[in-house]
Amino acid sequence: MISLTSLAFVSMMLFSIGAIGVIARRNIFVIYMSLEMMLNGINLFLVTFARYHFNMDPQIVSIMVIAIAAAEAAIFLSVIILLFRSKKSLDTDIFNTLTQGEKS
Amino acid sequence: MIDLLFIGLSFLAISGAVAMIVYANPMYSALGVLISMLSVAGIFALLNATFLFMVQIIVYAGAIMTLILFILMFLNIKEEDLPKEPHKFKFITFGALIMIPLNVLILKAVSKLPSKDLLLTNTDFGDMGPLGLQLYNNWLVAFELISILLLVALIGAVVLAKKRTTRVKHVGEVS
Repeated sequence: MISLTSLAFVSMMLFSIGAIGVIARRNIFVIYMSLEMMLNGINLFLVTFARYHFNMDPQIVSIMVIAIAAAEAAIFLSVIILLFRSKKSLDTDIFNTLTQGEKS
Repeated sequence: MIDLLFIGLSFLAISGAVAMIVYANPMYSALGVLISMLSVAGIFALLNATFLFMVQIIVYAGAIMTLILFILMFLNIKEEDLPKEPHKFKFITFGALIMIPLNVLILKAVSKLPSKDLLLTNTDFGDMGPLGLQLYNNWLVAFELISILLLVALIGAVVLAKKRTTRVKHVGEVS
């Protein structure tokens, strides 16, 4: 049961649900958590292939991904604080200062 | 026994991810993500990656999700601050249709690979010692670059989150 295909299925499900969250949701917190979910799915894929090939390099790449996710969390959350302070909203459709045409 | 554990953990991981995109309140979404991260840590342990199991629990569940929950409580988000999403499930169906071809491609490619049993082994594969040796011998440049990246992110977060009253007032006037 714990085969390569089932593990790939779980990790692709996590990645796809993350991508769907980025596409479908407008709450900026949920979009950030969806990005984390995509990184998590890729991590699971890497660890699966590390076990499959009995090679530890993918696990090290996975550690790098986790470190980059931690750095990203700090920057992203402080940007969210700035946006929420200036616009008082979590809706991504409001953050359209750089668009041409009508202003929000 | 191991199979049962794997099925339960994967079910929890996927259902936590589904809870993340379905709930409107970001607090419930964060709790769903937390469940999903912990289940993925369990699957790491089943795949002999003991050090990554600990790193996943400490960094993802312990640091990143706690930071998100802290910011969510710190911003004091009311019900009316949340964006209205009337077409959420329509967009979710649309996104699922987009993601189907990629999933079919990857799963077809993976299922063609020769099957091996991925059971737990008794070797020190994935332990802290061999992984650290590999990290410091072959991946030293990447490791140092990651440390610089973390330092820059720390400084950037402090600079961004600092209160700048004049600047913020200016942006408010323009918009």
